[in-house]
Amino acid sequence: MKTLVIMNQAPYGDWSGREALDMAFSLAAFDQPVALLFTGDGVNWLRREQEAAAISQKAVDRNLAAATIFGVTALYADQQSCHRFGLDQHTMIAGITLADTNAGLLGEYDHVISLS
Amino acid sequence: MSNKISHSTLSFTLVITGAPYSSQAPQTALFFARAAVAAGHRIDRVFLYGDGVHLASALASPPSDEPNWSRQWCEFLNQNAVPGVACIASALRRGIVDEREQKRYELGANNIAAPFSIAGLGEWVEGVARSDRVIYFHGGS
Amino acid sequence: MASIRTLHILNKRPGHPAFKSCLSSLENQDALLLTENGVLALVDKGLTLEGCVYALSPDLKARAIPGDASVAQAIDYDEMVALTARAQRVISW
Repeated sequence: MKTLVIMNQAPYGDWSGREALDMAFSLAAFDQPVALLFTGDGVNWLRREQEAAAISQKAVDRNLAAATIFGVTALYADQQSCHRFGLDQHTMIAGITLADTNAGLLGEYDHVISLS
Repeated sequence: MSNKISHSTLSFTLVITGAPYSSQAPQTALFFARAAVAAGHRIDRVFLYGDGVHLASALASPPSDEPNWSRQWCEFLNQNAVPGVACIASALRRGIVDEREQKRYELGANNIAAPFSIAGLGEWVEGVARSDRVIYFHGGS
Repeated sequence: MASIRTLHILNKRPGHPAFKSCLSSLENQDALLLTENGVLALVDKGLTLEGCVYALSPDLKARAIPGDASVAQAIDYDEMVALTARAQRVISW
């Protein structure tokens, strides 16, 4: 049972992205295989040096950088979306695998969640 | 969740993430749930997540000529002995509280509609691991 | 009945970002089920839907969307349940 959680919502403006991340971390905590795919507006979760304290929220970039330590098997980012939002290896947190979303990545998972 | 393809009886976990009166999700999920039970399938649990936890409020009071989705869901859960669970983290943030959490946080009231209960995401993980199908009902906007 | 690899349940209006994500994930053996605001896709002239498409009849009726059987098969909740049972996996967008 492999799960892919699709992160397609922009960070901080609403809670659904944060709650999608909680689902992924929860699966990992229960030893269920889970990966994250950041796509569309969702790639903005991956920017380095987020200072969410400025809007009294918790930053998640450090959690994401440590996600594989918590048991998340992989963090993918859609290449086109990264390009669109000007994200590259210098502006993105480490440990992200660039993927072409349409290239069958979804097909590798038994269970796909898109909270949008 | 198994990949069993079958026309016979399956087990379902339903996850509702859209709130009543701001999305159609609880309605679509209810009609789906009724049809699933009518077809002989089993619903292991209904899990409310994110904005979906508002469905577990006992205080929603729509005008009398509009459906009360919380009440209709509670009736369905009772009639079919299906557990309804609201995610504790989503629920407490949004002010959906049972007696235990009321005491723990010394709050002035509780408002969860029976038979809904409050529990952690582990209940959902259990559904993912064990139910034949996990079907999500999201908000639409 | 042909088997369905993935049933995509799409409840978003055609302008929603997830609508595009859903359509771009459709593969040959997949089926698309339009529900709620998703049924607007059937009257959106900017869209061409191909493959195995279903639309939830109560949502069509509510919005006075004419069901074009050559594009999408109108189904009820019983048939929606049957589709989720037939598909190997289900993705709700």
